[in-house]
Amino acid sequence: MEQPSTREKSSSDVPNLANGQAEGPKTLEGHYDRIRAVESARKALLARKQLPLRLQIYLSFFLVFLFAAGIAAALIIINIQVDGKLRFLEITNDFTLEIVQARRFEKNFFLYGTNLDDALENVYHAKDIFERNKGELRKMLGEKVQGIILSNINRYERLLEQLVAMRQSQVFSPDNLDNKKEIELELRKSGGKMVTFAQDLMKKERESLARILSRSRKTHIFSLIILLIFLALNAYFLGSRVLGNIDRFSDYAQRIASGDFTPITPARRYQDEFTDLAIAINQMILELETREAVLVQSHKMRAVGTLTAGVAHELNNPLNNITLTAHMLLEDYNSLDDDERKDMIKDLVNEAGRSKKIISNLLDFARESTSQMEPLHLEEILRDTVALATNQLKLSGIKIDFQTTENLPRIHGDIQQLEQVFLNLLLNAIDASSKGSKIQVLVIPADDPNYVAVKVIDRGTGIPEHILHSIFDPFFTTKPKGRGTGLGLSVSQGIVAKHGGHISVSSREGQGTTFTVTLPVTTIPAEITTQTGFSGLI
Amino acid sequence: MSEPLKVLLLDDEAIVGKRLKPALTKIGCEVEVFQDPKEALERIDQKEFDIVVTDIRMDDIDGIQVLEQVVNKSRRTKVIMITGYAMMAVAREAMEKGAFDFIAKPFKPDDLRKVIARAAEALGSPIDFDTPTTDNG
Repeated sequence: MEQPSTREKSSSDVPNLANGQAEGPKTLEGHYDRIRAVESARKALLARKQLPLRLQIYLSFFLVFLFAAGIAAALIIINIQVDGKLRFLEITNDFTLEIVQARRFEKNFFLYGTNLDDALENVYHAKDIFERNKGELRKMLGEKVQGIILSNINRYERLLEQLVAMRQSQVFSPDNLDNKKEIELELRKSGGKMVTFAQDLMKKERESLARILSRSRKTHIFSLIILLIFLALNAYFLGSRVLGNIDRFSDYAQRIASGDFTPITPARRYQDEFTDLAIAINQMILELETREAVLVQSHKMRAVGTLTAGVAHELNNPLNNITLTAHMLLEDYNSLDDDERKDMIKDLVNEAGRSKKIISNLLDFARESTSQMEPLHLEEILRDTVALATNQLKLSGIKIDFQTTENLPRIHGDIQQLEQVFLNLLLNAIDASSKGSKIQVLVIPADDPNYVAVKVIDRGTGIPEHILHSIFDPFFTTKPKGRGTGLGLSVSQGIVAKHGGHISVSSREGQGTTFTVTLPVTTIPAEITTQTGFSGLI
Repeated sequence: MSEPLKVLLLDDEAIVGKRLKPALTKIGCEVEVFQDPKEALERIDQKEFDIVVTDIRMDDIDGIQVLEQVVNKSRRTKVIMITGYAMMAVAREAMEKGAFDFIAKPFKPDDLRKVIARAAEALGSPIDFDTPTTDNG
């Protein structure tokens, strides 16, 4: 009844998020979209028929109880039946014994002329038994059979009484003798009939008892088998319902942990306690997403902080040029000819432009802009990122060797987030490198033709092997206290995972480190995506 | 006015030399301007300067190396370092290594003139620094 239906990622009333994995929630707008998606998922989840797990458990236990009660009732009925049969057999047995005894005395009478009174007494006893249990016997035998038995016994009694009367009157005339013979004959016949009848009755009843007992045995065995099957089926269905859902939610948990914050949508035709769980998890997704966005943003601001030192330093040069030129222009204004003045003013303008350029990259990067998934050229992103880090590179006296491959396919992503990832790798590389060394940045096709790769290679200190596996863990840092949060690579990994990509590291102590980011190439034509944009799809 | 002060000015920013040369010439300095540290070092080898003004942060050879070379060649020469923002540690290092003083970017021409005037005094050939300036003069 609860075959897990196919796990659809999205139902008709839940927006099918194009490339949902890579969807960015960084902005308020993105977050509102997610809130809407979660809300519609909630509605879809609650729109289904109720079939609570609790109901299934209660119902199955109730059914087991009913079945057990039925078995118990059947046992009681059979018990009563057997009891009745036994009682009847006991009565018939007593009755038969009396009759048989009466016949034995009857025989003695015919052979030796004795015991006639004893025979009569036995017949009285038999009749007494019959009378005492009249009610029960009628129930067992029916009125007709009872009547036949009673008439037989009465007749036998009457014949015996006749013989007794004859013996008392001592009249044994030849007529009487004939009469006696006749009575004897009838007595034998009637006695024989009575015994046969009683024995038949007993036999029949014994058979009937045997049948009841056999039926009772069978009922027991079958009931147990049916109960066993029912329990097994119930355990199977209940188990598969619970375990199947636990598996499903474990998958969800893994998916969410990997950074895919698509809300859970209906996967079955009914709702139950797991629906409440799904709704709670969807709510949690919203919270997680908000926190992640804050984390990504705060980490970005840290990177901005690092870059600011470089920018401030670099800004000194044009600022100094402007100060010097302006002062000299003021000082020598009258003695300068027009061309010299113009040259100085041109310098002022150029240096102001240079200042603007120095800060504009950083301002672009720092600005909280709308998150947008679009087709991007990786080498352009890398060029921008390197430009962003230029001041830092200059300050640290590190050269950059930037190589890209021509005509690489585009990727689908959020430019700001990807810049954040590469900037983080670049700043780490700068930190690890010594003055005068070189950092290599390569944009190349990945081994898998559907991916492109970016490699950031430094010739720095390298990462010791024993900590290499933990460098992507949150809060893991090798930098001195106060210099690193330990979130850079963790956040980068999150962003890359959201883009459906992968980030890996290889390092040799003393020789340097290589970080490789692979990202899937986009298959969406530029025209369509640039027009609709990502948010347009929701 | 006695012998003009022989000044070498080294900064990889072209405008610095372009503007400071006339500014220093005005106060009686004989200024040679260089953008390339290598060329400047060669010139330092050839000629003894009274004062060397050099930027600390340059691409190939930094100001500290220039300072070391000047100090090695002539202990008399006064070296004035131009530093950037947040380079206090380097400035201190320069002072320890024998720099006369340092001046932080961005500075006014008069700021440098004052330092040069002090250096000239220390050299025993004070210069007459009363060039009219328009803003604070």
